[in-house]
Amino acid sequence: MIPIEYFLALSGILFVIGALGVLTKKNAIVVLMSVEVMLNAANINFVAFSAFYGSLNGAIFALVSIAIAAAEVAVGLAIIMNLYKTRDTISLNKINLLRW
Amino acid sequence: MAFAEYAWLIPIFPLIAFVVIGFLGNRLFKKWEGGAPVAILMTAISLVLALAVAFEALTTGDGTPFVQSLEWLVVQSGEFNFTFNMGIYIDNLSALMLIVVAFISTLVVIYSLGYMHEEGEKKRRYYAVISLFISVMLGLVLASNFLQMFIFWELVGLCSYLLIGFWNTRPSAASAAKKAFLVTRIGDIMFMIGLFVFFIGFQGNLDYTHIFNNVDAFVGGDALLTFGTLMIFGGAIGKSAQFPLHDWLPDAMEGPTTVSALIHAATMVKAGVYLVARSYPVMVETPDTMLFIAFIGGFTALFAATMALNNTNIKRVLAYSTVSQLGYMFLALGAGGYIYYYHADFNVGYAAGTFHLMNHAFFKALLFLSAGAVIHAAHTEDMRLMGGLSKKLKITSLVMLIGCISIAGIPPFSGFWSKDLVLEAAFEGIQYNGLFILLYAFGLITAFLTAFYMFRLWFLTFAGKPRDQHTYDHAHEAPKVMWVPLAILAVLAFGSGFAFLMGFESVLVPGLEGFVPHEASAVDLLVAVFTNILTYASILAAVLGIGLAYLVYYKGTINPAVFTATPARKAMSNVLLARYGFTKAYDWFGLKVIYGISKVVDFIDRRIIDGLINGISAGLIRAGGFLRRGQTGFVQSYAAVIVAGVSLIVILLFYVGGVI
Amino acid sequence: MFENIPILSLLILFPLLGAIAAFMLGRSPKAAKYVALVFSAIPLALVTLMLTEFSLSGGFQFVENYEWISFLGINFHLGIDGVSVTMVFLSTLLVFLAILFSWDVEERLNQYMGLMLLLEVGILGVFTALDYFVFYIFWEVVLIPMYFLIAIWGGMNRAYASIKFFIYTHVASLAMLLGIFALYFTTAPLLKADGLIPVDAIGTFDMQLIARVAGDGLGHMLQIAIFGALFFGFIVKMPVVPFHTWLPDAHVQAPTAGSVLLAGLLLKMGSYGIIRICLPTLPDAAVDFQLIMAVIGVVSIIYGAFACLAQSDLKKMVAYSSISHMGIVMLGIATLSQLGIAAAVFQMFAHGLITAVLFMVCGMFQHKAGTREIPLLGGLAPKVPILATVMMMGFMASLGLPGMVGFLAEFMVFTSTFDTWGVWVLVPIATVALTAAYYLWAMQRSIFGELTTKIDTKHMHDAYWFEILPLAVLLGFIVLFGVWPAFALDLITPSIPSVWPLNGVI
Repeated sequence: MIPIEYFLALSGILFVIGALGVLTKKNAIVVLMSVEVMLNAANINFVAFSAFYGSLNGAIFALVSIAIAAAEVAVGLAIIMNLYKTRDTISLNKINLLRW
Repeated sequence: MAFAEYAWLIPIFPLIAFVVIGFLGNRLFKKWEGGAPVAILMTAISLVLALAVAFEALTTGDGTPFVQSLEWLVVQSGEFNFTFNMGIYIDNLSALMLIVVAFISTLVVIYSLGYMHEEGEKKRRYYAVISLFISVMLGLVLASNFLQMFIFWELVGLCSYLLIGFWNTRPSAASAAKKAFLVTRIGDIMFMIGLFVFFIGFQGNLDYTHIFNNVDAFVGGDALLTFGTLMIFGGAIGKSAQFPLHDWLPDAMEGPTTVSALIHAATMVKAGVYLVARSYPVMVETPDTMLFIAFIGGFTALFAATMALNNTNIKRVLAYSTVSQLGYMFLALGAGGYIYYYHADFNVGYAAGTFHLMNHAFFKALLFLSAGAVIHAAHTEDMRLMGGLSKKLKITSLVMLIGCISIAGIPPFSGFWSKDLVLEAAFEGIQYNGLFILLYAFGLITAFLTAFYMFRLWFLTFAGKPRDQHTYDHAHEAPKVMWVPLAILAVLAFGSGFAFLMGFESVLVPGLEGFVPHEASAVDLLVAVFTNILTYASILAAVLGIGLAYLVYYKGTINPAVFTATPARKAMSNVLLARYGFTKAYDWFGLKVIYGISKVVDFIDRRIIDGLINGISAGLIRAGGFLRRGQTGFVQSYAAVIVAGVSLIVILLFYVGGVI
Repeated sequence: MFENIPILSLLILFPLLGAIAAFMLGRSPKAAKYVALVFSAIPLALVTLMLTEFSLSGGFQFVENYEWISFLGINFHLGIDGVSVTMVFLSTLLVFLAILFSWDVEERLNQYMGLMLLLEVGILGVFTALDYFVFYIFWEVVLIPMYFLIAIWGGMNRAYASIKFFIYTHVASLAMLLGIFALYFTTAPLLKADGLIPVDAIGTFDMQLIARVAGDGLGHMLQIAIFGALFFGFIVKMPVVPFHTWLPDAHVQAPTAGSVLLAGLLLKMGSYGIIRICLPTLPDAAVDFQLIMAVIGVVSIIYGAFACLAQSDLKKMVAYSSISHMGIVMLGIATLSQLGIAAAVFQMFAHGLITAVLFMVCGMFQHKAGTREIPLLGGLAPKVPILATVMMMGFMASLGLPGMVGFLAEFMVFTSTFDTWGVWVLVPIATVALTAAYYLWAMQRSIFGELTTKIDTKHMHDAYWFEILPLAVLLGFIVLFGVWPAFALDLITPSIPSVWPLNGVI
């Protein structure tokens, strides 16, 4: 059996990669993909702990999370599509509708 | 007492007139002279009742007042208990006032039928308010305690305000009404403070009977009592237009002449005198107050008389004369009370004050109403435009002459008897306090001046040649409804003085403990008066005054221009015309001081307090404007802040919290 | 007659129902008018009926006490005594008359009427609540309709005024809330020790229970702190100088009926709070605060009167006169004598009636002359005789003319001031002349003198029936209670010892 530390390290690395992607990438699609990476990092943790403790709670949570991630992607892509339609760009440094 | 049981109805009848005239609308009274018949009828009914009550009180009473009262406000709760009553209190003094007020009111209302005939729709307002005035004035006279008196005291002030401002579209009338209300209100405040002193000092009961019977039980000491009586007198200063609150009365002449006669000569301004006479049992306990009253009275008598000397407005001369004569009354009352403190069976002061009150009411009402008839005829109040009117206004000139002789103090006209008593009281005071030498001198000089300016008035108005032909041509004798009341008043102005010989002095005595009235037959009194050198001094003063006026304004032996011949005389004359600068001083105080302070307050309010508040809010808004610049709108910068924040929390938990 | 009827709850319920009905009548705003009139007439009728049953014993009557949130010790506890019954009567009367007076409002009529009724709900709740929690909720309920009344139907500068009003009173009520919480937590152990509440309870919000233990049980400094917090909450609402500047702004901008209720009722909530809560609950602190109360009372009286003199807007002048007259209430409370407190309550009642007339008069000037600027008016008495007469009567009542309700109240306050501080009474009483001065001067410039040419006076219409009727009723009451003040004082005085049991005069 693979020790749990490996999983945690993997998920940590994935999470940091995702977070860096969110913070640095300008393309909205890439940012969305980075968010997915972070989410999956969390899912790995769920599954790993589920196996480690022998409880199914974590696995079920991971499944829920995947389902929600799918919905989120749908909503997120729709927003990006609309953005593109209305503003002809999906570059995040050109979109500052929340500005004061 | 049979009639006294119904005395409470006396003020009710005019009140009914007020309600009927005031609330039943214009349409009903258009044909009826604006409700005059209602007012006359109701006033006449209360006159009949008042005469019955007063006659009963003066003839059958044994000196104990008739009191009837109703609990108005009873407060009994926890540790505070007090009762305010509303009631009637009838003794000789209120009986006298009742006669004077009811009688003159009735005559004036009848006279108004003629005088106010041309006022159109405004008449209804006039008759309504004057009915209200008569009602509250009678209520003031009948009041059974100080609070009740104060209530009616303020209400007569209201009626005075409304009637001075009767022609309210004239700016001067509106201004005069305001001035009258405000200046008397300063007196009213003092009166109110006096009431507080009495209320606390006499254990929460302001009834005359309670206070008069428990003067010794006053809690708080002599100094407080003196303060209280002084403050009560302060009310009288305002209402009776004494120095230094006298300046409203000349301005009050902006009202109709009937109002001047009734309110500002015969009744309301007497309320101050009545108040002092009424509170005599308390006041005599404080000789300092009495001395002050005498001084203010004596000084005002002279002070106001001087201003009447060169005024050319017929009503203003009479107004100054009223102020001056009221001063006489206070002089008498003050002197009497001061002497009483040392010498308890001296009654001349009290009798003189009240006697002069009655006589003055009659002759001054006569003078004012005659002046009204003149104004009605000549359509001007300026004596410079009159002259020679006696040919056209025979009756008026005759009755006014009677009034002038009476006020000048020529025997046996009424003014003589009472003025003589006033001066006697002042002279008597010299034994006890040297100040009375001065006050007696004031009184004597005033007698001279009074005679002079009254005859100046008469000569300028009625004698000589017409100075303005237009005015003269249009002049006409007053209608019967006006001269009949004048004739009645003339009889009284001539004859009311004989009440002295009928024992006025022994009837009108202050309700003081252990006081023995001084009884004397008419012959004894006559002998006493005419063997006294003082009598001749006052007659001489009057004759000199009349003589001077005769020489200057009738014969022309002395040119009136003599009085303004030199610059000093001219300056003096201007000072008199400017009322010693009091009008200016009042205006300056109101406009510059009070209004100035209010401007400062307004500035504080707008700039400092609101400035502070608005400053704080503006500061907050600016701080918000600064902070919002952090909201760049870039999602990634928000995300960076989130990451940084989470990292910070983790680090804190790790290092500081020791969690991990 | 009312033994089994929860009359106080009904009193609050009917306006609430009316408000809901009015809000729902968006389609036919005219109907909302009648609905509002009926639903404000019902509480007035109920209060009148209640007065016939009211006993002069001084204790709380018509008490209702339902458990509400029991684990926090919150009860829906209502009851009235002599102090509150006068205020309840005044509230129902003024709301009814204000609705009648607004008969010609057209803009968003149904919402206007709904807000007026909602305001009545809050005010009646404040004046009847015997539980701090209920009191606070109703206190806040009052705020919202008044905010909207100013913000929607107000004048030119209404946004500023309504927000200022809201922030001032809200900050103040937060201070009050702190005070209430402090009372709640600090009295809990005392109440448990006395066995007044169960041992496992957190505390209670019941006013009477707290008042029973707070005065003796709490430490002196704590009492002062709590008193200060509550007191601050109340005086801003009254308002007193220097926390008063929201009032003139709010009045100038508010619609007439809003001003009537604001001055007639909302200001009374502040002084009512002091009398109902501060004095009986924390008497020791009240003694410490006596001088402060007296000083701010006197300063308000004088400052308000001077400020009146400088105003050119008739309504602003009346607003400042409210500050001056509420200062008299404050002074009456500050005497800490039963006479003074009874007089303060009477003055609150008197001022409620009088100021309603004054604001209605201002509203009519706005309506008929198109302006309230005194320099633009002048000589209007012959044009609008009824308005001029009413104005004069209102002004005379307000300057304390005997025979009208304000006189005896002022007289009693000053009497007890004299009893407490002696000749210092000269300072506040001097403003009696000042009050007369600004009223008479305003009248001289607006209705007397020569007819103004600065505004169009040709088409001026005198008062309409729906304006005359409320004014006649109010003036009738003003004269009635002035001629026979015992009607009100007999209700008030028996309850004063329970508010302030300590030293009395005489």
